[in-house]
This record gives sequence, C-alpha cells and structure tokens, in this order.
Amino acid sequence: MARNKFDVDETLETPFDFSHFKRAMVYVKRYKWKMILALMLSAISAVVALIGPLLTKEAVDVAIPDGNIPYIVLLSIGFLLSIVVSVVLGNIRQRIMTKAGQMMIYDIRKDLFAHLQELPFSYYDDRPQGKILVRVVNYVNNVSDMLTNGIINFILEIFNIIFITIFMFSVDARLALVIFAGVPVFIVVMIILKNKQRRAWQNVSNKNSNQTAYLAESINCMRVTQSFARENENLGIFRRLSTAYRKAWMKAVTVNNFVSFSVDNIRAVVDSALYFVGLLVIGYPAVSLGSILAMSNYSSRFWQPIINIASLYNNFVNAVAYLERIFETMDEPVNVKDAEDAYEMPDIKGEVEYRNVTFAYEEGKNILENVSFTVKPGESIALVGPTGAGKTTIVNLLSRFYDLSSGAVYIDGNDISKVTLHSLRDKMGIMMQDSFIFSGTIEDNIRYGKLDATEEEIRAAAKTVCADEFIMGLENGYKTEMYEGGSQLSGGQRQLVSFARTLISDPKILILDEATSSIDAKTEKELQKGLQELLKGRTSFIIAHRLSTIKNCDKIMFISNKGITEAGTHDELMAKKGDYYKLCMAQK
Amino acid sequence: MFQFKWMLGKMKGYRAVYAVALCLSVVIQSFFLTGPMIVEQIISIFISSPDALQNIENQRDLLILLCVAMILFVFVRTCLQFLAKMLYEVVSQGVLQRVRNELFERIQNQDMHFFDTHTKGDLVTRLTGDLDMIRHSIAWIIMMVVESCALFLFTVIYFFTLDWLMTLCILALTPILFVVTRMFSKRVGPKYVVLREKLSRLNTKAQENIAANRVVKAFAREEYEKEDFDKYNKDYCEHNQQAAMVWLTFQPYIETLAQALWAVQMLVGGIFVINGRITIAQYTVFSGLLWTIANAMRNIGMLINDLQRFFASISKIIEVYYSRPSIVNNHDSAERPRLNGDIEFKNVSAKFGDTTVLHDINLDIKHGETIVIMGSTGSGKTTLMNLIARFYDVSEGGVYVDGKNVKDYEPDVLRANIGMTTQEVLLFSDTVDGNIAYGKSDLPFEDVKNFAHLASATFIEKMPEQYETIIGERGVGLSGGQKQRIALARAMAIRPPILILDDTTSALDMETEAEIQENLNNLDFECTKLIIAQRTSSARYADRIVILEDGRIKECGTHDELMKRRGYYYEIYTLQNGTEEEAV
Repeated sequence: MARNKFDVDETLETPFDFSHFKRAMVYVKRYKWKMILALMLSAISAVVALIGPLLTKEAVDVAIPDGNIPYIVLLSIGFLLSIVVSVVLGNIRQRIMTKAGQMMIYDIRKDLFAHLQELPFSYYDDRPQGKILVRVVNYVNNVSDMLTNGIINFILEIFNIIFITIFMFSVDARLALVIFAGVPVFIVVMIILKNKQRRAWQNVSNKNSNQTAYLAESINCMRVTQSFARENENLGIFRRLSTAYRKAWMKAVTVNNFVSFSVDNIRAVVDSALYFVGLLVIGYPAVSLGSILAMSNYSSRFWQPIINIASLYNNFVNAVAYLERIFETMDEPVNVKDAEDAYEMPDIKGEVEYRNVTFAYEEGKNILENVSFTVKPGESIALVGPTGAGKTTIVNLLSRFYDLSSGAVYIDGNDISKVTLHSLRDKMGIMMQDSFIFSGTIEDNIRYGKLDATEEEIRAAAKTVCADEFIMGLENGYKTEMYEGGSQLSGGQRQLVSFARTLISDPKILILDEATSSIDAKTEKELQKGLQELLKGRTSFIIAHRLSTIKNCDKIMFISNKGITEAGTHDELMAKKGDYYKLCMAQK
Repeated sequence: MFQFKWMLGKMKGYRAVYAVALCLSVVIQSFFLTGPMIVEQIISIFISSPDALQNIENQRDLLILLCVAMILFVFVRTCLQFLAKMLYEVVSQGVLQRVRNELFERIQNQDMHFFDTHTKGDLVTRLTGDLDMIRHSIAWIIMMVVESCALFLFTVIYFFTLDWLMTLCILALTPILFVVTRMFSKRVGPKYVVLREKLSRLNTKAQENIAANRVVKAFAREEYEKEDFDKYNKDYCEHNQQAAMVWLTFQPYIETLAQALWAVQMLVGGIFVINGRITIAQYTVFSGLLWTIANAMRNIGMLINDLQRFFASISKIIEVYYSRPSIVNNHDSAERPRLNGDIEFKNVSAKFGDTTVLHDINLDIKHGETIVIMGSTGSGKTTLMNLIARFYDVSEGGVYVDGKNVKDYEPDVLRANIGMTTQEVLLFSDTVDGNIAYGKSDLPFEDVKNFAHLASATFIEKMPEQYETIIGERGVGLSGGQKQRIALARAMAIRPPILILDDTTSALDMETEAEIQENLNNLDFECTKLIIAQRTSSARYADRIVILEDGRIKECGTHDELMKRRGYYYEIYTLQNGTEEEAV
C-alpha cells in the first residue's frame, strides 16, 4: 500500500468473509469453559423463568376460583423464589461474561501491540500515527461485547427459535408454515442489506480513522499551525472530515434502522395472515380455535428471537468492520525478523565488515552499491558526504533495521542476519537524529538505555555527556517530570539526555547520527573530552558535519555516488585534495 | 446538572427537532400500549368468545378489517419509529459534530503551556471516546428516560382508573428501588472517573510508543515496551471490570424488585379478586401491563450507570472547552497587513515555570538586518525567538514589532508576518508540495518549486513522485537534513518580513549550508532574519552576532568586533576553524 494521508481512506484488500470472525474465535476459545458455563447458566435461568407463568396459571385457574388465600400466598412465595434464583443465575452469567470480555480485549490488544513492536520503520512512516492509535485503543474496545454476550445471546436465540419451531409444528403444521413464510422474506431483506451495511460500516470506520488521524497530527504539530496562523484553514479541513464522518454514520444507521423496520412489518403481515388463514381459509373445524390462539402466542415468541438476532447481526457487522482492521494490522508482514536458526550474538570485540553490500528501499533504486569495508575493533569512523547520500542508511544496516538486497554484514565474523535481532541491537548504542524524550522523569529517560541502572550510574553517564549541570539546575533535578516530548528542554539538552541514554547502555558499537548537531560548540568541546575516554575500546560510527567532530576520528569515509568514494585519515584526505578537501574548505 | 445545561446550550438549532423526536417517542409508546388491543379484539371476538364460530361467519369483513388495521397500525408505528430514530441520530450527530469542531477550534487556540501540560493521548481521548458519550446521552440516555417515564405514567394512570389500592400496592416497591439506585449511583460515579483516566493513560502510552518506535528499536526495548504496555492494558481492563462489577452488585436487587411486581400482583390481586374488590378481567389487565412498570424500574439502574459514565466524560470535555489560553487569538482579523520587520526587545525577562530563562534583554533590530544568535545549550535562544511570535509572554519588559508591542497585535497578524522553523522539524503527512505550501495553500506550483530550490531541497526532484511524494508525519523516511530543508522552504514560502530559523541547517553539510546562506542573502523580498546556529560558518553573513549565556546577552556585534573582543565567539570560532594551536 502506498503511503497514507489523513484524508485518504485506507483501502481494504480482503473481501468480507467469516474468516475474520473465525479468527476472533481463537480469542473466544481461550475462555470456552467460561462461555459454556455462562450458556448453561442462561439456559437454566430461562427454564426457571418458565416457572413463573405456570404458577400464575395455577393461581388464576385454581387458587382464585377456590378463594384459597393461603394457597395464593404459597404460590407468590414460590414465584418470588423462582425470580430470585433466575436473577442470581443471570447475574453470575453477566459476571463471567464481563470478565471473559475484558480478558479477550486485553488479549487482542496485547497481541496487536506486540505485533506493532515487530513492524519495521516503514510501517510507521507510511501512515499517520493516529490511524495506528485508533486501532490499538478504540477499535479493540468496540469488539468486546460482540465476542461475549453477542455470541452467547446468539446461541440462546437460535435455541429459542428451534424450540418454538418444534412447538409450532407440533400444534399445527399448516399454521406454522404461514408463520414461516415470513422467514424467506426476512432473509432476502437481510441479504440485500448485508452488503450495504458492511460497506456503510467500513466507511464509518474509515472516516473515523481519518478524523482521528488529522486530530492527532494537528495536536502534534500545533506549533507549526500556530506559527503559520493557519488555524482557520485547518478548522475547515477538520470540519470537512467530521462532516464526512457524520454522513457515513447517518448512512450506516439508516441501513441499520431499516432492519428492525422490516422485521416488525413482516411480523405484522404474518400475524394477520395467521388469523386470516386460520379463521377464514382453513377454518374451523379443520383447525381448532385453541390452536390458533396458541399459534398467535408462539408467533410472537418466534419473532422476538429473530428481532434479537437481527439486532445482534447489526452489532456483528459493525464489530467485524473493526475486527478486519485489527487483523489487518496483525497480518502486516514483519520484514526483518530472526532467522529460523538464529543464535544469540556472543560477546563481541567490535570488528565490523561490510562485504559487497547493495541496498535499496525500493526495488531497482539502489541507495548503496557494492559497498565493502572493514573496521577494526575500537576504531572510530566518521561518515561524511552530502545530505541524502546514504550515511544514515549505512549505519541503519548495521543494526539490521533493514535487510540487504545483496551482500552481507559481519560483526566479529557473525553474519548479522543469522543472529537474533535482540542480541544484535543489544550490543549497539544508537543515537538518532530525533532525540525522543519519553514522559516520566529525566532519570527514567536515561535509564531506558539500561533498565537496572543505579542512580550513581545515571549521574555518571549524565556527567560524561555534560548534562549533569543543567539537570541539577532543574526544579527536581533528576526526578524532574518531563512534559510529553520533553518540551521544557531545549533541543541541545534533549540531545544530551538522549546521549546519556545511549552511553549508559554500554554498547560495544556506538552509532552517533548527528547526535550533537544542536549542541553548542563549547559544550561539544567538553563533550569531546569525555567522549574520547568513552570511545576507547568501542567501535564507533559518527555522522556529523562539524569538522571539529570529524577530525578526531581514526578514519573518515566520504559517502556519495552509492558508495564510499574516499577513505582515510583527515590528513591523508586533505592531502588527496578530493571531495573531502573541498568540503573542509567550504567550512573555512 | 451544569453538564446538561451546557449540552442543552450546544443543542441550539436542534432543540425543536429533538422535542419532536421525544414527542414521537411518547406517541410510539402509546402505540405499544394500544397495539395489542387489536389482537385482543380478534381473539375475544373470533376465538375465545362463545359465539366465535358465528362471528367468523357473520363478521368476515370485520375480521379482515382488523387484520388490515393491525398491519397498518404496525406500519405506521414502525414508520414513526424509523423517523424518531433518524431524528435522534440527526440531532446527536449534529451536536456531536458541533462540539467536536468547537473543541478542535478551542484546542487550536490554546497556548503552548496548555500543550506542555496535556498529553496528546489525553486530548485525543477527549475528542474521541469522551465525545462519544454526548452522542450516547442524546440518542440513548435521554430518550430512554423519556420513554420509560412516559410508559410508566401511562400505565400508572390507567391502573389508577382501574383500582387505586391495587396500584399503590404495586408501586409500594418503588421507594426501595430509589434507595438502591441512589446507593448505586454514589458508588459507581467515582469508578467511571477513574476508568476514564485509565483509558486516557492507555491512549497516552500507545501514542508515545508509536511516536517513539525508532528509539524502541534502537535500544531493542520491544520486550520492555510490551511489559510496560501490559500494565496499562491490564489496568484499564481491570478497572473496566470493576466498574461493571459495581453495576452487577446492584443489578440483582433492581432486577428482583422489577420482577417481584408479578409476585406482588399475584398475591394482592388474587386476594382482591377473592374479596371481590376487582374482577378477574381487571386482574388480567394488571398482569398484562406490568412489564411497562418493570421495564421502567430496570432501566433506571442502567440509565444511572450510563449517566455516571456520561458525567465522567463530559466534565473532561467541558474542562477543555472552558480552559482559557493566556494568549488569546480571536482569528477575527480580516486582513493581515504586511509589517516592516523592525524588532525591539526592551528590558525583556521571561520565565518558564519558576525559572527565569531570560534576564533583561535589550536588543534593537532594524528591518532587513540579519542577526545570528549563538550561545550554549539552554541559554534561552529558542525562548527569545518564541517571544517574537508570542508563543509565550514576557514576564517583564516588552517585545515590539514595528514599534508596537506584540501583545497589542492580533496574533494572526503577527504570526502571518513571521516565517519560522523549529528545532524539532514537524512535517505533515501530506505531499511535499502540501508541506511547503502549508502557510499559503494557494501558492502556485512554480513558487513551491522555486522555494524548494532556494532551500537547496533538490533531492525532492530525485524522488519518484517528486513534489507529489507523501511524507510521514514526523517527516520520517527523510533524513534530518532533508526535513530541515523542507521546513525552511515552508518558512520562506510565505515571503515573511521576519524569518526565524532555529537551528535549521544543523544537519546539513557545509556546502549545502553555504548555498542556502547565499540564497537567503538574495531573497526577492525584504526580510529581517534571525538565525540560531551552532556553527560560526553560519555567522559569516550576519550583520550582527548575538551571544546569549544563561539568558543574558553577553556579546553583540559584527564578526570583526567580536573576534577583537576575544570572548565566547572568538573561542568558538577558533575551536571550529582550527587555529594553529588546535590543529595537531
């Protein structure tokens, strides 16, 4: 699928079938004993509920004509007892179902989230974040009732229909057929509505997703919007999206409301037909008046479950529209994953080798071609070259964020595609261009690099990257709560915190991608001192534009034209008077 | 009840329709009461009457008439029901959309402080899940209350005409119901407030994880994230259960009370019939209509449950609705006149929370000047820039643009005159074209291209779909330098008299940076430029260089002046350009 914008509906490639529902049953099955228990409780409670009418009949037929007050009292007490039993059983069922329902959505959400963790960058790059968010939170919430009470009630209603049908046919088959005549009509109506309904609800979920995506993005980028004073225009866009949602919703509920409309009318026609056929067409004595009376009773007992099923069906179609989206995400292929016989990367020294590496994000558009180089353990390598030449790509391949098109990358002789991803990335410290700050304290943010780090370790790491001073200057020092995105810190401070986070993970291989671009020259100088110490014994790749940072590296590689055009020390490359020389001169 | 009053206010324009819908509901309820009478007629005349067979012979027409009447009656009822349901939807969706748009508008008008203290996940929760409760309350809760009450009243009045004592005996249970529901309402309310909070946290956690997906992968923290998310997921589900359990604790009492009506009816009714107070026919009528009272009793519990939920959500909505930004933007400026671009800081101090970030800044910038601002991390450079566009207010002194205090400008007018790039580049999930033309959507394509070239963003033309390429929300998929250049083109594209570049070229290589600087000097519109930079190479073309330290201006002057001073600037310059003693 091509990249998605907030106002573009996400097309759904899979056609509607019950497989989504079947798949949802996997989650239901885990609680099958609970479901069965609930079903049985419901059945018993339904049977107990039948006692009431029997007692009423007894009161009217026997107790009242006899004027037997004690018997009436007795019957009332019996009635009350049956009520209490049936209510308690129903209540237990509800409790079981509530628990099971919550467990199911917990399971689904957990699996969905777990799968999202495995998905590649490109998945996140390709669509607005809000569209992912609604699936994880809102959509999952929407399916719980369907999967629990929906299923149980559906089964119960089916049983109801079967029982009543048997009763009806045993009383009078001809009249039963009259009532049954309504069923094909009902089925035809449902089939006609089915496709409309499905499309309508899919449309609702699409428009909802668009609206939420735009909302999330607008909140995210509010600064930009405000600085361009574009609020009115964006409000217009949002109005358009919320109107589209409202229209989609209205369409969907119109179809939905049509269902109960049809059922009620079919039922009225069938009931009239029952009296008409029973009394006038077949007529007494071919059919007894008593059986017509009984049948008119059964008719309503027959149609009520059908009405219930119709409304369950509405919910069902609605829930499937969400289930489709959830499963679609769960089915999203994980491109980079552990090989079947992947092994744990052993402790490493940090030797890196790229052998004939070719890479393309999109087939046929190579970013890198036939790149080969070797880095000795402990060496520091600077990657320089024009923006967009592929410097970040080269280091991303080392962490195996993407798989190569051809060639191989080795760390200490281990092909990185053969080791487990976790053990590979665990050995690396990567500091990216975006320095993301999590909500939580500064301490938590640094600790993200080493979950069991002590306060002393955290402070030491912060000191190394010259962050200690500003952190101590904050209101609560290391315990200062960060606003979302760390918005109370300056860009340079955020980089320092994220730097400390990388360092504390004590990586064998360190990758710094524009890690210090927003840090002022003076701080950087101090930072360099600390860094020199740190770089010792670690292989490092540094992408930077500042000469001061680059010069100190053991080796400089100039990246352009899909490969390495120059490599050597600063002095060697200066002497060569090539691209690197030109670059240095530009800075002067 | 303030919540309902507020919502009633939001229903303006829909109130008449809503009243019609509610009236329809009441009418429909009366249909439910009277509808079965036709069937009863058929049964009593043609089936249970001793003269049934004769009646079938003699009154065929009446039978057919009754049958047709039954069909018509149901048809009319279902049409009305359909109409009523659609009216409820029209009103609830209309109000929902109105409130949603208004909230969006209000959120857009909030100042930066608001966004610092409200997480995105929480705001999204308010505009999705919480808002849904508005729809639910209009299309369901209120409707159910009216319907139940109508049915209850109809029946009770009818019952009183039959026998007052019997009716009172049946109603004797209702006071108990009120006690039970009151207790329930008190206990369940707080649960929903907590539950709502948990949902918001779940949203925030998921939102943050999605935004941080790169960091998560870089640290191989997938397992940790899963465990952490698990806590929120579990917490939410558990609280959901808890809230449901409160309802389920009270539900048996309410349900038993409702069903006990029949037992009471049987006992009291039976005795009354025996005593001759009521007839057996009346007894049957009582028993046949008891469901209306029972339903009303049942619904009270459910409705209170929903109502508490509604209160928990709508309070959150109202809070956003009424939160007043300290910097008010009315967007009522019909015109946005072009300013000259003179900027003056007079004794400016600024605070962030309790910490003073800027102290007594005095700086006079003439239009057309290029100022480069440098200084250590956290010295207040970005804050200084934010004061010009009035994202924050000064705590002392004043910022003047064209001699007028920024506080006296309509923010729209002020900001429309400022092209700004931020340190953290935020792009929209839109085409490159759409992103560059963000500040001026009617910008002709030629200009978009032109500004992209000025920002040295030639890489765009190497992409397969060029300017039509859709880029991700955080511009991910692009390198840091590429993002910065798109943001730069975006800022220039509005041809502002004031251009503020916050660290915009930090991820660019020297050559590209030099090219951009050349272009900036040759813009075809007059423009005051304020450039925050770390590299002295950026300072070369500046008319003046300002050095900030700890929120104070430490040095200010031309390159030559500052070099002579041998202060901070000199130090950095030599550091970056390698003098003899540096180059080993």
